[in-house]
Amino acid sequence: MLNRDESLHICDTVLAHAKGAGADDAAVSVHSSVESHARFADNRITTSGRAEDLGITTTVWVGRRRGAATANDASPEALKQLANEAVQIARVSPVHREYVPTLGPLTYGEARGFAPATADVDLAARATALAGVMDTCRKEKVTGAGFHSANASATAAATANGNRRYFRSSQAELSVTARSAAGTGSGYYAGDHFDLNKLNSQHIVEQSVGKAVRSRAPKPIEPGVYPVILEPQAVADLIGFLTNSLDARTADEGRSAFSGKDGKTRVGEAMFSERLNIYSDPMHADIPVSPSTTEGIPASRFSLIEAGVLENLEYSRFWAQEKTCEATPGPVNYIIESSQPPTSLDDMIKGMARGLVISRFWYVRQVDPRSIMLTGLTRDGLWWVEKGRIQYPVRNLRFNQSMLAMLAPWNVEAIGAPERRLPLMVPALKLSGFAFTSISDAI
Amino acid sequence: MAIPPVSRRQFIATGSALLAATYVPDWADAFQPGPADDARRAEAAEVALARATALGATYADIRINRYRRESIATRERQVRNVSRSASYGLGLRLLVNGAWGFAATNVVDAASARAAAEQAVAIAKANAVLVTRKVVLANADKVVTTWANPIKRDPFEVPLDTKTAFLMKLNETAMAVPGVSFVNSQILFVDEQKYFASTEGSRITQRLVRTYPQFSVTAADRASGDFQARPVVDRAQLMGYEYVEDYPWFQDAEKAGHEVVEKLTSKPVVPGRYDIVVDPSQLFLAIHESVGHSTELDRALGWEANMAGTSFLKPTDAGTLRFGAKIVNLVGDRTQPGGLATTGYDDEGVKSERWHLVRDGMFVDWQTTRELAPLVGQQRSHGCLHADDWSSVPFPRMPNVSLEPAATEVSLDELFSGVKRGLFVEGRGVSSIDQQRYNFQFGGAVIREITNGKLGGMVKDAAYQSRTPDFWASCDGLGGPATYRLWGTSADGKGEPGQTNAVSHGCPPARFRNVTVLNTGAA
Repeated sequence: MLNRDESLHICDTVLAHAKGAGADDAAVSVHSSVESHARFADNRITTSGRAEDLGITTTVWVGRRRGAATANDASPEALKQLANEAVQIARVSPVHREYVPTLGPLTYGEARGFAPATADVDLAARATALAGVMDTCRKEKVTGAGFHSANASATAAATANGNRRYFRSSQAELSVTARSAAGTGSGYYAGDHFDLNKLNSQHIVEQSVGKAVRSRAPKPIEPGVYPVILEPQAVADLIGFLTNSLDARTADEGRSAFSGKDGKTRVGEAMFSERLNIYSDPMHADIPVSPSTTEGIPASRFSLIEAGVLENLEYSRFWAQEKTCEATPGPVNYIIESSQPPTSLDDMIKGMARGLVISRFWYVRQVDPRSIMLTGLTRDGLWWVEKGRIQYPVRNLRFNQSMLAMLAPWNVEAIGAPERRLPLMVPALKLSGFAFTSISDAI
Repeated sequence: MAIPPVSRRQFIATGSALLAATYVPDWADAFQPGPADDARRAEAAEVALARATALGATYADIRINRYRRESIATRERQVRNVSRSASYGLGLRLLVNGAWGFAATNVVDAASARAAAEQAVAIAKANAVLVTRKVVLANADKVVTTWANPIKRDPFEVPLDTKTAFLMKLNETAMAVPGVSFVNSQILFVDEQKYFASTEGSRITQRLVRTYPQFSVTAADRASGDFQARPVVDRAQLMGYEYVEDYPWFQDAEKAGHEVVEKLTSKPVVPGRYDIVVDPSQLFLAIHESVGHSTELDRALGWEANMAGTSFLKPTDAGTLRFGAKIVNLVGDRTQPGGLATTGYDDEGVKSERWHLVRDGMFVDWQTTRELAPLVGQQRSHGCLHADDWSSVPFPRMPNVSLEPAATEVSLDELFSGVKRGLFVEGRGVSSIDQQRYNFQFGGAVIREITNGKLGGMVKDAAYQSRTPDFWASCDGLGGPATYRLWGTSADGKGEPGQTNAVSHGCPPARFRNVTVLNTGAA
């Protein structure tokens, strides 16, 4: 990983070469990374490695013609070649109709989501942690499989107009799937933190093993519409399809779930439960991220859905220019939380007359962008609840469910306290109805 | 087959010298490494392998790969982006005390290679305390050779304006259809230059060139707020620029324009049970998901349990389990011309081959690597180890998995003729399948009714849902050799850290009886 001076020196070198080659405007980014992992299955390590890489990308404009080139070689001759390459592409490219001048100097907040321990993994400590995970699996007579990763990166960017920024970030994660010896039960649990030292491997494996044991020998139920409780992981598996749709341009162009009739968008409509807030905040204590959008706009708290009302959509710099408004200061992460005091998972179950508790979803795909209709399957833990208690495990089910309908004002009964699942802070949800269409034999 | 010689000189000699001189040189030079680069690469490999051996590795292999990509993205009448990328680096894998270690770096020289060996050994030694079963590799031949896929025209030497003009004409063709609102198109070229060396003496140099054209046409009705898309996205092949020049792309674009306009006003499907005829443009994906992934031995052994999942097939099922109807024959094939997973040698130096996974409806064999083959009593690997980058750990990946056509010619109309009430499914829709590859749901880009053997109007919001063994058991008709087509997916995800694999599936159209069809339009 490169430090601030090393990274910005590369940026400045490429900018100077681009200018020398005839670029009228230019932007350079330098991304250096180190990634370490250990993967295990069948209660043993299957692969383990470490990789260092560098990505240097420059985008240049000659007039309004654009060219972009990326390489991973920081030698002086390679940097010159990279800049020349981008300029040469620009010279033979058509006019870039969506050109917006690169950013000038801006002030950014401090990036907080980096820990040195994540960048420099202690191999012996990792082996000890994983030995504990596998021992727990053996004691409970389940087969453990999982993934331990620790990644760190530094990203610097600079423009011909004087913008300069440098942020470091890191991410450590452990996920464990436990399967019962006879293959009739399966559990999954994952945790992540920017600081590897804060990863609680024992808690993660215990949750996973507990789910595997409690999900053994599931019974089939008929597909249909059921009340459900989605654990945070299950919400995390779905919510990206909603957050990825919160783009102003596609809504304005009439091809998004947030497109209204007669060329309007649905901003301002109470489309969702009044309990629901979704916002972005780079300084959130539990999920701090780099205080800049990918386009370089300084990030700040930015509300997308407030008490169920669609408050804002994301505007890129180009689309903001087209619509004569400001580019939005996010989203850079998504915090999904209740506008009212949160309800614990236990209380959600206690208050349920009949329904299902869902651990996780798998192979979720968008079937129809108009309603954000999704299909996918439950996986690694599904239980039947009756009279406020979990009764027995249930066979996995395929669902076909619209996200707009799922989060509609009439369908959200309770929202839990959010948990970290980068890039989300995501809560459990209690829903009046969720549509299942067939049974799966998979465990 | 030898790697084609430096072709920049040839290109300049074709008569475009002035234009070529203005924009090709740096790009071409960067990717035509000379003898000094080759020597530095060989030295790095030898240093890494020697250092690994000296530190106690019982086996080591190294991949030193250079990747070059060019991407051009357009929408309607404008070029959105032209970008080129290059990546070069080394990845070393080794066994110490029966445990794997791996280290990779973007700096290719003797000092970095030596450091990578030391890091990989440290990782293997730290993890060796957790070894419960030492890794054993199946035997492989020592190979010293070069290989490249045949290409007629190197896409990296075609002028940029020729490529943008192709995409602009594609967009214009689709936009000329009344009712079409948007067109997005993209073309991506990938050049992989791979060098493999192992402590067993293999030294293999390969070059693979892939061409990925794709586009999507959208029709939007602003008054009602409705919109529909017709993507054409799975046509990538292991070919050069001749694929752009020889295939009738503009015909496809015009057809897609008409289809998306018709789709916007088509009636929703009535859910129920239908006989379905599935075109190769969709069936390839059903094969990929239900056959390609279920016959991966690492999944059956539980090695993917935490991510992609396991398989409904058990390690003991080969040779004993009926997979489908007797007419169903499926092969793994890393030699198929144009196939995205076709290569000369896999990423541990095993020569590519073709073998049956399903013969006469019976499941008979697995996809294997040198580590996997001994675990089911086999002496040799089928050559399925792959890393998607020099920085990635190689692991089991899918070969081209293809469905054999009927022995005699059977036309699409003959497949329709046996259907009273059915649907004909073409193109990629939404696909989803469970983690053991039983329950799946596939949509299509274009779905038409079949009534009394005749193809009728289009329906929308349809998806078919089935269970892998039931689906393949219900197959009662296959197109003949003339109907066989190769389609492929360029981004098959698997593993942790996640890797993508490009893989093709050849097949004829096929008929399946009494399949559940859903209407996915209603909440």
